[in-house]
Amino acid sequence: MNLVRKTNKHYFIFLLLLFPIMVGVDYYVIEYFVNLEVNDVLLHESERIDYELKRNGSLPHSNYIYSTETVPENFSNQNKFGDTLVFEAYIDKQIPYRTYQFTVDKGSQKIRISLWHILLEMNELILWLFASTTLVLLLLFGGLFFINRRIYQWAWKPFFYNLSALKNYDITRKEPVQLKPSKINEFKELDKVVTALMEQVKKDFQNLKEFNENISHEVQTPLAIIRNKMVLLLESDNLNKEEQQWAQSVYQEANKLSKISKSLTLISRIENQEFKRLDTVDISSIIDNIVRNMEEIIKFKNINISIDLDSVTVQCDQILANILFTNLIKNAVQHNKEGGYIDMMLTSDKFEITNTGSTSDMSTAQLFNRFQKGNKESDSLGLGLSINQKICDIYGFRLDYERDDDKHTFSLFF
Amino acid sequence: MKILVIEDNAELLHDIKDFLEEEGNICEIAPNYHSATMKVGIFPYDILVVDITLPDGSGLDIIKVVKKENIDAGIIIISAKNAVGDRIHGLEIGADDYLTKPFYLAELNARIKALYRRKVYNGRREIVFNEINIKPERHEVFVNDYPLTLTKKEFDIIHFFVANKNRLLTKEAIAEHLWGDDIEMADSYKFIYTHLANLRKKIAELGGKDYIKSIYSVGYKFTDHE
Repeated sequence: MNLVRKTNKHYFIFLLLLFPIMVGVDYYVIEYFVNLEVNDVLLHESERIDYELKRNGSLPHSNYIYSTETVPENFSNQNKFGDTLVFEAYIDKQIPYRTYQFTVDKGSQKIRISLWHILLEMNELILWLFASTTLVLLLLFGGLFFINRRIYQWAWKPFFYNLSALKNYDITRKEPVQLKPSKINEFKELDKVVTALMEQVKKDFQNLKEFNENISHEVQTPLAIIRNKMVLLLESDNLNKEEQQWAQSVYQEANKLSKISKSLTLISRIENQEFKRLDTVDISSIIDNIVRNMEEIIKFKNINISIDLDSVTVQCDQILANILFTNLIKNAVQHNKEGGYIDMMLTSDKFEITNTGSTSDMSTAQLFNRFQKGNKESDSLGLGLSINQKICDIYGFRLDYERDDDKHTFSLFF
Repeated sequence: MKILVIEDNAELLHDIKDFLEEEGNICEIAPNYHSATMKVGIFPYDILVVDITLPDGSGLDIIKVVKKENIDAGIIIISAKNAVGDRIHGLEIGADDYLTKPFYLAELNARIKALYRRKVYNGRREIVFNEINIKPERHEVFVNDYPLTLTKKEFDIIHFFVANKNRLLTKEAIAEHLWGDDIEMADSYKFIYTHLANLRKKIAELGGKDYIKSIYSVGYKFTDHE
C-alpha cells in the first residue's frame, strides 16, 4: 500500500469514527438550543400576556395559548416548562410541543395558562443532520484526499526521482548518483545520509578493488621467479625421483596460481570497465580463428564439429569478444568426450553452441559461480564462465545454459 | 646478439640474464630507468627487453627515447600489467612484441630469436640444427634436405624446440606457446605427447635422429647431448 493510500485510509477511518459523534453532538446541541429558544419565546409570551392582562384587564390574543383555566385562590403550583405529544388528526401524527404553564391574576381571579409551542420533529432533525453531516464529511474527505494526492505528487517528486536514480545505482560506475534537492527537511536529511552512505560504500569498494588488483599484480613477478627457479631445478641431474616429483608439483601449482591471478585480474579489469572500446566486431571471423587455433586438438579428440555461421557483427571490445568466444568454444572442447560432437550456430541475434559431455547435475546458477567446476577431476579453474558472465553484463548480452542428458548447450543472445 | 634487459626485480633480472647468456648472447642489465637510458644512449644493442614499471620511470619512456634517437634495436615489453591499453600503447610507440608476466623464459627466448631474425635477416634465415633445417618465414622444415610434412602445430612445436635447444621445455610452456595463455586444457598435454610421437616418427622416417628427450613427466628437451 503506498503512502497516499495509507494516509487516506486513516483519514477515512477517522472521519468514519467522527461521523456518529458529530451527528450525536449536533443532535443534542440543536435540541438544546431549540428548547432554549422555545423556552425564551414562551417566557416572553407569558410576560406579554401578564403585562397586557394587567393593563387591559383582559387576555390578549396569543397564538400560543392552548388553554386557560381558572384556579382556586390558594393554587400554588409553580410556573413550569414541559414537553408533550399531541395527536394531530389532520396529519395522523404525534407532534411534539413545548409547554409552559404559568399562573396570572385576572382581577381577583387566578388563571392558569398553558402556552404551547410546536417543536421540531426529532426524526426529521436526525435525518437532516445525518444528511448534512454526511455531505460535510464527504466534502472534507474529498478535499483531504485531493490535497493529500497533490502533496504526494508535488512534495514527494524529488523523493521518487531520487529513488529511481538510486535504483540504477551501480557501484562500478564512476559518476556519482545525482540526487535532486528537496525543500523538505526530512528529505534533505535523507539525501545527506544516502549520499554519505554511497560515498562510504564506494570508498570501501575502491579499497577492496585496489587490494585485489595489487595482490594479483604483485604476485606475478614472484611467481615468475618461482617458475624459473623450478625449471632450473628440474633441469639439474642431481635430483632423485622423489625430489624431482616435489619440484614438479611446486612448478605446477605455481603455474595454477599464476593462471588464477591472471583470470582474477581480468575479471577486475572488466569490472573496472577498462575495456571501453566499441569495435565493430565480426563475430564469425572471431569464431573461425578460434576454431582454427584449436582445430588440431579438436581432431585429436576425435570431435565432430559442425559450424553454421551467418556473417554477424556486434558492437563490443574486440579483445573481450575474443575472450568470450574462446571460453565458450574451449569449454565445449575441454568438457567433450572422445568421439563427441560440437554444433555451433551463429545468427544475427544469437550464438548457440552445443556439445556432448559428461552428465553434470549442477544447476545453472552454480555453474556461473567463481571456481565452480562442472567436473571435479578437470584441471580447469572454473573462472571462464564467470568471466563470460561479466563480459555479457557489460554489453547486455544474455548467456543461457541448458542440459539435456549429456548434451550441453550455451546460448548467447546479443 | 647483444641484449639489454631492463627490469627492476633483481631476481627476475638475473634469471633472464643467466638464461639468455646460456644461449650464447651477450646480456647486459639495467635495474632502473636512469641506467637504462644511459646504456641505451652509449652502447648499441640488438634487442631491448623492457619492463614497464620501473622505480624511477616508465619503460614506455625508454622506448620513446630509443625511437627518438633512431636507435635500431628490437624492443620486447615485459609487464605485469596485462592492461590492454598498455599493450596497444606499447606497440604503437614502437615496441615489437609484448609479453605478460609471468612468462616462460623459453617463450621470451623464442620471441627474442624470432624478433632478431626479422630485424637482421628480414626473416630470411634458416635455423639449422644438425640435419634439421627450418625456414621459419615459409613454415618449412627439412631433414637431410628432404621436406618434412607437418601440421601447423607440429611446425610450431619443432620451431619452439629448436629455438630453445638443450633446454627443458615444460608441458605448460609448450601449451602456452601453441595456444596462448587463455587455453588451459588437460587435453593439450596429451595432444603434445601424441604429436611429439608423430614428429619423432616423421623425422626418423627421413633419417633424422631422435632429439626429443622426455624429462621425467614434466616436459621435454630437444638436444643432441647424450
